[in-house]
Amino acid sequence: MNDSDLEKKLKAVQVPSRREDYWESFPRLVSAELRATPARRPADDPNWLPPLAWGGSIAFACLLIGFAIGHWHGRMEKSDPYALLQNGKVLHEVLTLFPNRVRAIVQDEHGMQLVLADQPDVPASTPIYVHICDGKQCSSLVTFSGQELEIAGQKVTILAEAQGGVIVVGSRFAWSSDRPGELRGGLKIEATSLNSINL
Amino acid sequence: MVKESRMGDTDEEKVLVLQSRKGDPATFESLVRTHQRMIHSLTFRMTGSLADAEDLAQEAFIRAYRQLDSYQGTAKFSSWLYRIAVNACLNWQQRENRRERMHANWAESNDALRPESEPLAGEDAPGRQVQAALMKLPAKQRAAIVLTVYDGHNHAAAAKILGCPETTVSWRVFAARRKLKRLLSAKGGQNE
Repeated sequence: MNDSDLEKKLKAVQVPSRREDYWESFPRLVSAELRATPARRPADDPNWLPPLAWGGSIAFACLLIGFAIGHWHGRMEKSDPYALLQNGKVLHEVLTLFPNRVRAIVQDEHGMQLVLADQPDVPASTPIYVHICDGKQCSSLVTFSGQELEIAGQKVTILAEAQGGVIVVGSRFAWSSDRPGELRGGLKIEATSLNSINL
Repeated sequence: MVKESRMGDTDEEKVLVLQSRKGDPATFESLVRTHQRMIHSLTFRMTGSLADAEDLAQEAFIRAYRQLDSYQGTAKFSSWLYRIAVNACLNWQQRENRRERMHANWAESNDALRPESEPLAGEDAPGRQVQAALMKLPAKQRAAIVLTVYDGHNHAAAAKILGCPETTVSWRVFAARRKLKRLLSAKGGQNE
């Protein structure tokens, strides 16, 4: 057998064809796998790598958020300064970077900050938008049902109701989106489930 | 076949890479869709099994997504992706070799017959014969043949993808051809 015969014989062999629906579903399969498995480092990395990776991820997230703020700031400024928090794309990007670790994304007078859990144990659920003012300062955040947070000097727990309402419970008050109104000490709360955001 | 997906980086593709880098698997889906046939073709030629080819293609895309930060943009995205897939195939071969050695030791110690491996996929008998011969090559020689014969890379380009000198690729191609000729000339092609 000479080179030319070998070449012909090799090239005559086709890769077995697959059904068209396989090619349709394969990219989704990859995407689902990426969402399901925690991103980045394998478990057998040296010990110093996870903190480094974690620090890098946080720095990257801050950059991303900074970029997002810069990008959307102009448009959002004139309408609602907290609209960025309700932007599905931004939320999606942040949640993808830290799967099941984001307890809240808070925006206040100091800017935007992430509140992350130590372990990836924050259950995926519909995000909840909360805006709290205590007369002196206001904070807005996006969080998930069951999270206990400190906002505007108040320690509060955010809960979602089955009917789509939101309950905010503090040490001396309980507020429900079904019966909104001003609380003691000039505390004002607005809260809503972000059902329209598909994460 | 393969050539349809070996494209130069379009502006659209560059944008998709940048967006995927920000951590958006949904955007990455478009890149997977563009290159999936090329990668499946490579992984099948390297494994001879549709199931393993699918697993390896998936592994290659997942690795690529997680290493997107390291993609400099100086080479074509398709070449960069191809290199990741080749490495995934070579690692797979190492795992397979280890598994087969363990299996052989176990079978020997238990005086048992080694079970038949998964039949090689192929649409016809000559196809299976050629694929079986390819599978008898050392993995690096097989990769050299897949890159140069099936995917049309010259030796210099194949060397870049494989991360070795061009002369090494030339030697691997030469050795692989010699062995393939012997295997495919023998009666039945699988008698060695």
